[in-house]
Amino acid sequence: MLKYLVDATLQLVAMMIIVGMILGFVRNYFGDKPGKLIQIAVLAGVLCAAAMAVMKTVTNKIDTGGWNLWFYYISLGCFLLFLVSTVLFCRKKVLHSLIPCIFLGVIIVIQMVYALADFFVYPHTIMLTEDSLLSTNFLTKMSGALVGLIVTLIVGFSANAVAKALKRGESLFFLCLILITVSCRQVAASFSTLLTRRIIPNNHTLFQIAKFSSNHSSLFKYICLGILMAAAILLLIRSLRENEPYSNPAQRRKIIFKYRMIRRWSTTALIFSVICILMMTVIYGIANREVELSPIEDCEIENGALVIPFEMVDDGHLHRFGYETDNGVVIRVIVIQKPNSSSYGIGLDACDICGETGYYEKDGQVVCNLCDVVMNINTIGFKGGCNPIVIDYTIENGRILIPVEGLMEYESEFK
Amino acid sequence: MKKRILSIVLAAAVSMFCFAGFAMAADDQAAGFTEIPIFEDEELAFINLSAVYFQPVPMAPGQESIEDFDLHLEADIAALENDLGYGVGDWVPYLTVDYKVVGSNGEVAAEGSFMPMAASDGPHYGANIKLPEADTYSITFTIHSPAENGYLIHSDAETGPGGVLEDVFGDGNLEYTFEGWDYIPQEW
Repeated sequence: MLKYLVDATLQLVAMMIIVGMILGFVRNYFGDKPGKLIQIAVLAGVLCAAAMAVMKTVTNKIDTGGWNLWFYYISLGCFLLFLVSTVLFCRKKVLHSLIPCIFLGVIIVIQMVYALADFFVYPHTIMLTEDSLLSTNFLTKMSGALVGLIVTLIVGFSANAVAKALKRGESLFFLCLILITVSCRQVAASFSTLLTRRIIPNNHTLFQIAKFSSNHSSLFKYICLGILMAAAILLLIRSLRENEPYSNPAQRRKIIFKYRMIRRWSTTALIFSVICILMMTVIYGIANREVELSPIEDCEIENGALVIPFEMVDDGHLHRFGYETDNGVVIRVIVIQKPNSSSYGIGLDACDICGETGYYEKDGQVVCNLCDVVMNINTIGFKGGCNPIVIDYTIENGRILIPVEGLMEYESEFK
Repeated sequence: MKKRILSIVLAAAVSMFCFAGFAMAADDQAAGFTEIPIFEDEELAFINLSAVYFQPVPMAPGQESIEDFDLHLEADIAALENDLGYGVGDWVPYLTVDYKVVGSNGEVAAEGSFMPMAASDGPHYGANIKLPEADTYSITFTIHSPAENGYLIHSDAETGPGGVLEDVFGDGNLEYTFEGWDYIPQEW
């Protein structure tokens, strides 16, 4: 659940801020009529993102990297055209103000397709390993994703309110800051695609830029959140110092109400930005924390074999045993009684694919520590896939005997 | 009000269908499956070795989860001219192929053994792996003798192809290291 909560937040937060800020800016700067154009763009963005998600999952027509390149460059172009057209038409008629709004509308559609399509693909990705839409695992993971969506939606709504409440020039300034941040990330990301696909020749400087952007991809999201928080703090301070003139009590009440709303939305923006930052740091750390393997249990060694009595392992849980070689390497073995059976799944605590990473037990299932693949307990002891490496053993008088000689062959699997 | 709702719905529907139509027309091929080469056509004894990667893929049975992987790494192994009975250009079965990815700091970023599998372009050795950091990596492939997996070659003069696996693997496994793999995680 936490993983999908964090993933959804990381996936959506920058897009929500951009869309919210553009919506608020357009209403603030150009008025309500062009604002409707932006609302249509938001709707179009949702539908196009849904179409993209469907095409990604049911067809092989979508080359995400190639599409992203187009998104980056169209978005960058629209940002530049928006700046030029805003300067040219800022004091002209409503009809002219539609031109910069069209460019912002395109940016919104692109941002939504870029971020929201992958969010819409989550159910498909989760269902790859689930049997039913009603399984606890599916519902838990989707709940996490939905909470992430709700939190980022609130950030988006508050960004809209903040951008609308700022002064015209301030609103343009903060929107430009956000769009410049996003443009920087898009330029760096485009280098990544161009270099990887060898569309442009290898270039050390461009690779370093793309590498920095990739390894610090959250930085751009923090900057977007920081810009939103700065705008919210500016509004909060202004609302506390409000001294707008009024001519009658009704007008006074209206002013008080206006600043109360500004305070509420600014506070909401601040609180939910902090929540997003906590999700992207603290909860991210928890969600990606390495699982600690259960300790190795003691067992006797008799006649060159590990001896594990049935009564030590007949509880249906995963048990881990080990043999320390002369080189100080501990070769680990797992044993689990198979469900509704008197037989045991026995293998090395390592697999051919993921190496010595080991297995852990979660909710009655055995899971690979590296790739999180849930093992079919009944197939443990058989070769294949991410199954534990098969080892020699014998059953004798209610005991499992694992020859040390056989284990020694796998010393190199463990470091 | 009705007119406004209708115009919004129409605009959205038109944009969605334009988008879908453009996407469908953009490429008739399997555009979602773009192999990114790491190195190509390295010759190791009777083996031609190439390495590519692309998006993590679900594999059946038992490897359907792609949630925590960054890429699908693939070793394309085809036979060169040989006296072991492999057809030139054919995939070489029964191999154990280990991979090891080392970062610029000298630490191992990923390692393991590939699984044999088939995709739309034929059989290969591959695995989904985690490699979240962009870096300049070195990647080593170690190819074990198919004899380790029970593969035999006729050794008599009448029916045998002329050579035996010992001729190639007598001195140990085949190994190839590619230095300077500039890798940046992709958005798949």
